[in-house]
Amino acid sequence: MIGGLELLLLLPMAGATAALTVRGRDGVAVWCGLAAATVTLVVSIWPWVALHGDGRVFVAETDVAWIEPLGIRWHLGLDDLSAPLVVLTTLLTWCCLVSLLRRPPDCGGVRQLVALVLVIEMGSIGTFAALDLIVFFVFFEVVLIPMWFVIALWGDPHDVVGRRRAATRFLVVTVIGSALVLVAFLVLRADTGTFDIVLLRERGVATGTGTVVATLLLMGFGAKVPMWPLHFWLPDAHSKAPTVGSVLLAGVLLKLGTYGLLRFWRDVVPDGAVAVAPYLGALGVVGIVYGALACLAQRDLKRLIAYSSIGHMGFVLLAISVLTPQGALAANYGNVAHGVITGLLFFVVGAVKDRVGSSDLDVVGEALYARAPRLGAIFAFAALASLGLPGLAGFWGEMLALLAAFDPNPALARSTYLVLMVIAAVGVALTAVYFVVAIRRVCQGVADRDALPDVATDEWVSWTPLVLATVALGIFPVLMLWSAVPAGLAGSP
Amino acid sequence: MTAFAVIVLPIIAAISAVGAAHRWERAAPAFGIGGTAAAWAAAVAVGVQQWGGADPSVVGDGYVDTGGFPISFVLRVDQLSASMLVLATSVALLVQVYSVGYLRGDPRYPSYVAFVCLFTSAMALVVTADDLFVLLVGWEVMGACSYLLIGHHWELEPARAGAVKAFVMTRVGDLGLLVGIFVLGKAAETYRVSGVIEAALAGEIGTGTATTACLLVLCGVVGKSAQFPLHTWLPDAMPGPTPISALIHAATMVAAGVFLVARLLPVFVLSDVALGVLSAVAVVTMLGASLFALAADDLKRVLAWSTVSQLALMFGALSLGTVDGYAAGVLHLLSHGVFKALLFLAAGSVIHAVGTQRLSSMGGLRRAMPWTFATMTVGFAALAGVPPLVGFFSKDAVLAAAVDAAFHGEAGRGWPVLVAALLTTVLTTAYCVRAWLMVFLGARAGQVTGPDAVVVAPVHESPPEMVGPLGVLAALGVLGGVAVLRPTYLGLEPEHLHVGVALTSIVLVGLSAFVVVAEWSRSQRCEPAEVLGPFRTVLAREASYDTLLDHAVVRPTWRLSRLTAVVESDVVEPYPRGADTGAGWASRLLRWFHDGDVQRYVTVIVLGAVSVAVVVGMVRP
Amino acid sequence: MPVLLPLVVSSLLFGIGVYIVLARRHAVLVLMGVELMLNAVNLNLVAFDAYWHDVLDSGQVLALYVIAIAAAEIGLGLAIVLLVYRSHRHIDLDQLRELADRDDADYPRDSSGVAS
Repeated sequence: MIGGLELLLLLPMAGATAALTVRGRDGVAVWCGLAAATVTLVVSIWPWVALHGDGRVFVAETDVAWIEPLGIRWHLGLDDLSAPLVVLTTLLTWCCLVSLLRRPPDCGGVRQLVALVLVIEMGSIGTFAALDLIVFFVFFEVVLIPMWFVIALWGDPHDVVGRRRAATRFLVVTVIGSALVLVAFLVLRADTGTFDIVLLRERGVATGTGTVVATLLLMGFGAKVPMWPLHFWLPDAHSKAPTVGSVLLAGVLLKLGTYGLLRFWRDVVPDGAVAVAPYLGALGVVGIVYGALACLAQRDLKRLIAYSSIGHMGFVLLAISVLTPQGALAANYGNVAHGVITGLLFFVVGAVKDRVGSSDLDVVGEALYARAPRLGAIFAFAALASLGLPGLAGFWGEMLALLAAFDPNPALARSTYLVLMVIAAVGVALTAVYFVVAIRRVCQGVADRDALPDVATDEWVSWTPLVLATVALGIFPVLMLWSAVPAGLAGSP
Repeated sequence: MTAFAVIVLPIIAAISAVGAAHRWERAAPAFGIGGTAAAWAAAVAVGVQQWGGADPSVVGDGYVDTGGFPISFVLRVDQLSASMLVLATSVALLVQVYSVGYLRGDPRYPSYVAFVCLFTSAMALVVTADDLFVLLVGWEVMGACSYLLIGHHWELEPARAGAVKAFVMTRVGDLGLLVGIFVLGKAAETYRVSGVIEAALAGEIGTGTATTACLLVLCGVVGKSAQFPLHTWLPDAMPGPTPISALIHAATMVAAGVFLVARLLPVFVLSDVALGVLSAVAVVTMLGASLFALAADDLKRVLAWSTVSQLALMFGALSLGTVDGYAAGVLHLLSHGVFKALLFLAAGSVIHAVGTQRLSSMGGLRRAMPWTFATMTVGFAALAGVPPLVGFFSKDAVLAAAVDAAFHGEAGRGWPVLVAALLTTVLTTAYCVRAWLMVFLGARAGQVTGPDAVVVAPVHESPPEMVGPLGVLAALGVLGGVAVLRPTYLGLEPEHLHVGVALTSIVLVGLSAFVVVAEWSRSQRCEPAEVLGPFRTVLAREASYDTLLDHAVVRPTWRLSRLTAVVESDVVEPYPRGADTGAGWASRLLRWFHDGDVQRYVTVIVLGAVSVAVVVGMVRP
Repeated sequence: MPVLLPLVVSSLLFGIGVYIVLARRHAVLVLMGVELMLNAVNLNLVAFDAYWHDVLDSGQVLALYVIAIAAAEIGLGLAIVLLVYRSHRHIDLDQLRELADRDDADYPRDSSGVAS
């Protein structure tokens, strides 16, 4: 059967091709790409809406034979985990392309950048929609090379070698992770004889094999999430990447890792993951505290937000490691909330960097409230959202993760998780500290430098959807939490 | 529905105020006062309905499934909620009117109005929410508004520091509250406040669980209401605009902690340990804070410590665990809201006129500012507990409940609370009279007659939009005592006036005032606190608690963070760099073989082929 | 005749060929060594073809293939040797090392020692 998801894959490719080949000025190419992204965004909302009611059914499913001799099928579909992430991807891509309209990169090549962004979007959507292991892997890898180019060619204009190194480091660490993931997939195939995720979910996997697979996936996806101690590539990548690259990296690419972990641990190896879950929880919590402490010492805004991403992903990992439906909901909420809020943060910091020339705190100076009031206000808003202020999206992700850790899967040791929950709560406090300190350093203070141009219309257009999404997800948690507890799933009450 | 309006109207007003600010000059005050007035009207409507004896009204039935117990989006208004709603919206409305005069010409006025409106909504949400998580949302939004408003004058270092300190200390406490909600929810199998109370009354919550939950909830309460050990943020929040201090840090937000304990009292009653801890905290705080107030030189700081002390008094009353204690605590909460807001707004009027907050720079203002003098006198008298003002009745209720508990019930908690409350009465009167004398009586500081005369700028009374609210609050303070604050409005039996207690407290008030006035006259009308002698410096430094916190918590955290940065650059970074260098060495090693000598390449091929042939030959002969 | 005799001869020839290829410096001599190896293989093939009385004569057919390929290869090889002689004025294999993986001259390094 053919669902409609191929449309979501073809549209970005068409946009990329159009951007590269259309004649005329560069602006026309960006408009082509933006048109494709707009249509993709609109189309991607339908599966999410169509899922309302039962999150366990796959919508828009496509299931045709692809490479018969190897047993690989072209199997796509969206469910309650993946549909919101697809919308997040299309939304962030749309915002990125809008921001490229009036602010093309100084070094030129905006056509190629637009094309690469659209390819990354396609790869991400494909990863989220894939229901076959090899299809998943293919799209998972598709994203990497374009991202390398984005960081290495359009990154920090003052540091050519540094941005190459950051991009290569990102690529190498992620590819090593992918290799481990591929080994895990092959083990699954060897053990069960199929690559299909739905079939694997139905048939189940033996616990021994499941544990091996779960460990390999932990290490493999952990490199992408990023999980401590495989996190070292993220601050470099973010500080050298262009704004568009940072937004996509933080908003979408990190989610590929957590989505993979959540999908395979929840659906394919739920029993095998029991042995490894406490380690995931522990590493996630270490990431929360470590990330928060590192943030306090940062002198560069983009590195600060990178470390805060490590912290937020730590919460998502803690939620995944709980192995309950509540944990899965919490992890997905955290995923989407982090994508929206950190995307906004990177846009704002990118705007500051454009105006001042650097994201270093000493160069940026103080009193942004005075020099560019609206910019300062949005920065403060995004920072408050990111520290988990209730009423905004970040709160539910963090709170539900802690709540899930309070009541883990009966097969897991509750005392371990209570300890993890307490340490994570300390991390929440530290997160609050570094964000208000950041607001104090950047927005407040004595206004002794020149005023900066305030937020322009095109910036408003590309940021407002994220602001609205942050508020909407904060006061209407029902947007993410409508799917009832799935019946008949391992671990459900 | 009306309750919902109380929450929503100020938010609409906030958005309108900010949105229309650059188009219409008067947008901010218009929307601010209009929106808050509408909310106040709705609150009064709800209040009249509830005080008239209606059943608690429930609004809304939405809920959200999280995989565990659902989170309900339901509001429940009973008499306690209604009283709090009226108090919050009334003070908010008066503050909005007052701010028109106080912040005249401030360029950030629209955002100020928006945050005050948002705060009002959040407070309304806290007192009407029937779900613990929704309550937490309102609780923390209040904290965020408090943070944003304390930092209103962010070009000043004390404002920035105070805002950060307030936010961080309350957030730390709120984490305990969050975990406490988890425990309560699991024990009662619901997150609905009404459900939790029902479970507690039905005995479904064990003592151990109740203790854990209550102690955790106390973390949040202690943080929000600035009790020991999280008490130092409130005086440091004083660099914020004075109307904010009146609204947030006197009448409403800090009172939310008292409200929460009062609301969850059925659960607290299940745990003696929790009530014991609460009363210990209350006793320590009420005495310590009033001593600090006695030694402080800053008028707002005196009032801030006074707030801390009075909140402790409310907690002391609640910790008795009796119906009388509950009634007394809530009554004092409501009356304190009135007279403390009055005192802060009046202090704002004084500070606005004189230009300084230091008591030692004030004096002799009673002629220059007659209205402020009159209303502030009423406020100080209410705080000290002079009959027939409202403060007298509520403090009397607390003392009576303590006497009851000490003699007839929980002697373990009753006696400490009683003794502490009596001592606090003395100290409260002392610092009230001291402040009153130093501000209004005597000579103006700096006014020295003779050749060394220092010229002091003339002082005049504040504009009517500032004095008006003062008058309203003073009137409430005078009338409130008998007419407005009756326990029947909380669904309880009318209070009997405990004559013995009343007389004792009047005597104590009189004695204390006499001593202070005498000391003041003796010390050339300057500083009555001189009587404390060397003890004064210790109190003025507030027992160096902040320094302790700095050394014990703040500096280690900074050190840890620098350590983490060092770990990142020196411990974690070498691994990928090492991999990079290692790969370089490996490739250089292999490169050694590629020196262009073709014959060496062929030798290797031959050797390799031969060994493979030999191995194959040996394996499969 | 027992098949051992041609096998020994072909092994000896092959060994001599390997020695020449690995140890001698003169390029033409090395090409002759390669020819020697190929012909040793031919001898082997024909010998076994005769020994097994192969119906398809596959050994002889393969030997013809080898002869053709050897001829093509020697043509190219000698052409390369001629070009090398023209450019270097010698054909000493020990000195022809231009295809070596040189150390740092080919790769510019940045200040931190990382090759880009």
